[in-house]
Amino acid sequence: MSGAARAGRRLFWLVPLALLPVPLALNPYQQFVADLVLMYVPVAIGFNVVIGNLGLFAFSNVAYFGIGAYASGILMAKAGLPWWITVLPAGLAGCGAGVLTAVPALRGVRLFYLAIMTLAFGELMRWSYIRAEALTGGSMGLALPRALLFGWPLDDARKFYVFLALAVILVIATERLLCSRFGRAFMAIRGNEVAAAAMGIPTGRFIVIGFAWSGFVVGVAGAMYAALIGHLSPDSFNLSELVLEFAIIMVGGVGSQLGSVLGAAVLTALPQLFMSWPGSEELAFGLLLILVILFLPRGLASLLARWHPIFRDRYLLEE
Amino acid sequence: MLLQLVVSGIANGMLYALIALSMTLVYRATTVLNFGHGDMATAGAYAGFVLVGAGLPFIAAFALALGLLFAAGFLVQRFLLRPIMRAPHFALATMALAVGYALRGAARLRWGSEIVNLPRPYPQGAFMLGPVVVTNDALVITAAVLVLFVLMLLLFRATRLGRIIRAVFQTERGAALVGINVPLFHGLMWGAGGALAAAGGVLLAMIVPLTPDMGEWVLVRGFAAMTLGGFGSLPGAIAGGVLLGVSEEVLGFYVSTVFTDITAYLVTILVLLIRPRGLFGRQALARV
Repeated sequence: MSGAARAGRRLFWLVPLALLPVPLALNPYQQFVADLVLMYVPVAIGFNVVIGNLGLFAFSNVAYFGIGAYASGILMAKAGLPWWITVLPAGLAGCGAGVLTAVPALRGVRLFYLAIMTLAFGELMRWSYIRAEALTGGSMGLALPRALLFGWPLDDARKFYVFLALAVILVIATERLLCSRFGRAFMAIRGNEVAAAAMGIPTGRFIVIGFAWSGFVVGVAGAMYAALIGHLSPDSFNLSELVLEFAIIMVGGVGSQLGSVLGAAVLTALPQLFMSWPGSEELAFGLLLILVILFLPRGLASLLARWHPIFRDRYLLEE
Repeated sequence: MLLQLVVSGIANGMLYALIALSMTLVYRATTVLNFGHGDMATAGAYAGFVLVGAGLPFIAAFALALGLLFAAGFLVQRFLLRPIMRAPHFALATMALAVGYALRGAARLRWGSEIVNLPRPYPQGAFMLGPVVVTNDALVITAAVLVLFVLMLLLFRATRLGRIIRAVFQTERGAALVGINVPLFHGLMWGAGGALAAAGGVLLAMIVPLTPDMGEWVLVRGFAAMTLGGFGSLPGAIAGGVLLGVSEEVLGFYVSTVFTDITAYLVTILVLLIRPRGLFGRQALARV
């Protein structure tokens, strides 16, 4: 990256700064949607690390999300811990699930095989939330106490700032990871795994690291979900949720962090328009995905990159 | 008791076999795994429901639903998949997923708030066959799937189209070189996949309530049966489906009822971890 581009990149700090006064201007419902967008930013970024950067067809993202949410929720509801203490354990739980799902990838399961297997894992987890009634409240769901931050209730404005801080931290940490030798190894694996191994990159180790980081980021997002919704139900972590998360990174731009953020903003705000007609949201998503694949295969991020070079992203998947 | 369980398992298994077989057909022909297959089955079931509601006799509605989904499959291949044939796997599978998702949304928009049932064209009941109880549902489904299998076998073995299918399965480029229109063939196979999905959907909707989310259930069972039998193997899909149906019943009775729900997931995960080739699979097909 050239010096000018690096200086240009600093401008991205203006984005979270510009968002600071947002809670002053919104009504509670708009506030909720804004929080939802901030929550989907790490969800998408974590998913993108595996799908976009590692280039592995693993669909266990919703499982990490659900595991993070339930870890946070159970610690709050059953162990009586305040929300802020549960954020890290939620991330670690997601991280553990990530390592677990990396095992089949290490065994050489790839492509559709990996996709099917991770789908089955996600559904198995959803079934576990339903069956483990003592912990999760079963299909009735788990009602959570108010989220607390250092003893204060997480009211609307505070929630927004906490979520903004978490999202920014996770974006920057992921950016650092991708800029490091880890990120370069991910790109090599995505490009050609056999060639990467032949060059002496320990591909297995980096695959586990990628999955673990993805699980951690999405697990933290799960804790944000627990704080935002206040009620966990197994059906929130079904295949439709998976399609939503997948659509976010497809529409935003596979492999690009900017794309994850854009996709989260667009596709989280969009369904709110369709709330009153169940089904119209899925129909719109399906059609949107079709259009994006046909006419904008590199997502919204590529549109921005075409508009100004400052938005160019070398991690964006090239066709 | 075991005999009874096996008999009930076979009836479910035949349905899984039909689903897995139609997915395998599309996969073998075009190397695209149809992630929207379950929703195509749901769409076929709703088409059957609408046609029966319009007063058509059941068999005519069944045939027409198959025809409609054949057209849908063909059109999806022609206008959505063919333009991106050269794109990575990723985009192709996502396209199939997106089509399925849009279908599901359309179904929910129209029928989301009601649970509909496809009326059986025969009396519901059961009879004794020696020591075993056989429900009419099981008999009809098994017979219908067997008829479809025989028709497909005849198509494969005894017609010109069957020779073309086998030729393209062997080598796509070779088939193109001897003058077979491979893109058209891909379209026809997507059509066939859609029609067989519709058949599975209609049969399933006779015995369980029809909801827009039925496709999820279908897709997971289809994947499990395909994996068990060996990815890409046609006989394997049938064997895998039947075996899955029987193991659901047997494990559900002798071990714990929870297994009726999770056998499909466990089978998928364990087979891929321990023996990725499945029972009859050969070398993995890869689209490089």
